[in-house]
Amino acid sequence: MGRSECPEVVLIFRGTHQVLSAEKALKRGGVGVRLIPVPRRLTSDCGLAVRLPEPTLALALETLRAVPLTPASVHRLLATGEYEEVLF
Amino acid sequence: MPNTKDYIYLDNAATSLPKPPGVAEAVAGAICRAGNPGRSGHALSIGSARDLFTARERLAELFGFRDSSRFVFTENATGALNQAIKGLLRSGDHVVTTSVEHNSVMRPLRRLESAGVSVTVVPADATGTVDAAGMIAAIRPETRLLAVTHASNVAGAVQPVETIVRAAHARGVFSLIDAAQTAGAFPIDLSTLPVDLLAAAGHKGLLGPQGTGFLFVREGVPLVPLIEGGTGSRSEDDHQPDFYPDCLESGTPNSVGIAGLSVALAWLLKKGVDGIRAKEVALVSELLEGMRRIRGAIVYGPEDPSKRGCALSFNIEGADPGEVGRRLEREAGILLRAGLHCAPNAHRTLGTFPQGTVRVSPGPFTTRREIGKFLSAVKRIAAG
Repeated sequence: MGRSECPEVVLIFRGTHQVLSAEKALKRGGVGVRLIPVPRRLTSDCGLAVRLPEPTLALALETLRAVPLTPASVHRLLATGEYEEVLF
Repeated sequence: MPNTKDYIYLDNAATSLPKPPGVAEAVAGAICRAGNPGRSGHALSIGSARDLFTARERLAELFGFRDSSRFVFTENATGALNQAIKGLLRSGDHVVTTSVEHNSVMRPLRRLESAGVSVTVVPADATGTVDAAGMIAAIRPETRLLAVTHASNVAGAVQPVETIVRAAHARGVFSLIDAAQTAGAFPIDLSTLPVDLLAAAGHKGLLGPQGTGFLFVREGVPLVPLIEGGTGSRSEDDHQPDFYPDCLESGTPNSVGIAGLSVALAWLLKKGVDGIRAKEVALVSELLEGMRRIRGAIVYGPEDPSKRGCALSFNIEGADPGEVGRRLEREAGILLRAGLHCAPNAHRTLGTFPQGTVRVSPGPFTTRREIGKFLSAVKRIAAG
């Protein structure tokens, strides 16, 4: 998966149901998201994660809080291909 | 397989037929494209996961509950009831139930009796209706659960579940409703009814395919999973996840059936359960009125159609119920069920054990004309 010029973040959730709940809420809230397989560097889970542009992260987290939904963790995708955990 | 159009189908308490438009197509579509939901990141896996998610969201909407993760898919109502009962009760616990329960409640309870669980069966009256005060009076300090059917699958009697559930809630006792006969046919609002566990089949009033069902589990109910295994989540951990719905959904689900159930749920949401209930009460009223006029017909259950579900049991004086059922099919193409309906205690309550009853159960697609044909056929058989 190629990286766009805009920095992106990956949101990890507890299970597929939470991922799809998050996707539904974020789309309704006007936040563009993509579902991706959970990056193996983050967890060995075989499920899905939510990927979105970093500038929309604050709106995304606010939208999720209203559901309420809290990601298990958030990670910034670095230019090197590595991930850096984002505290929220 | 016979064509259902050749028959008058009045066995909806066993499984509903026909299904709403689009259900069969959804099943056929899913069997060609359903990947394993939640197990992979590819398009067909995600598509299948979305089907499950959509169905779960529709269940939550139909039952008025905000958090769809609390609706756990099962293979049928029996699976849901076993999970609820065996997942909650432990040695030393006491459970209160009724004499009109289906074997899918009674058999797990009888099994648990040998493991140190004590069971009180509160008798129903001659109409198959249990007294809420009797259920409440049976509560002891060690009572863990009140388990009650919403409507009897034999007599059709609607039970006072709201009073029972509220009394249990007020006393810190968990409550379980077997909604096998009412889900999709009765308005049930889980935002106001404080029931802890509610089990239902997907293939009866919810109008979906066989092999589907669900268990609703309210927050704070400490259920131990009966089945543990792969969930597609927390794969790095060899312990069962503790979050819903994954903790109670191990192994590949019936994605194909659930895709069909989802379309049925959308149809129910569009039609409205209130309207379906009103139509079915009208059909049962016609049935009751017509049966009263047939000499030799004995009808069981409440006389007031508003106190009944869609199952109506009857017998013809001096006739074997199985033979009556066979004649109705052979002579009039009417399909229904005769026997004990997997609820022997209900028949002991009604005085129809061991011969059983003939059970007629219309559904949302049943017409008044079909009810009329059924009544004419019963009249002919009763006349000898």
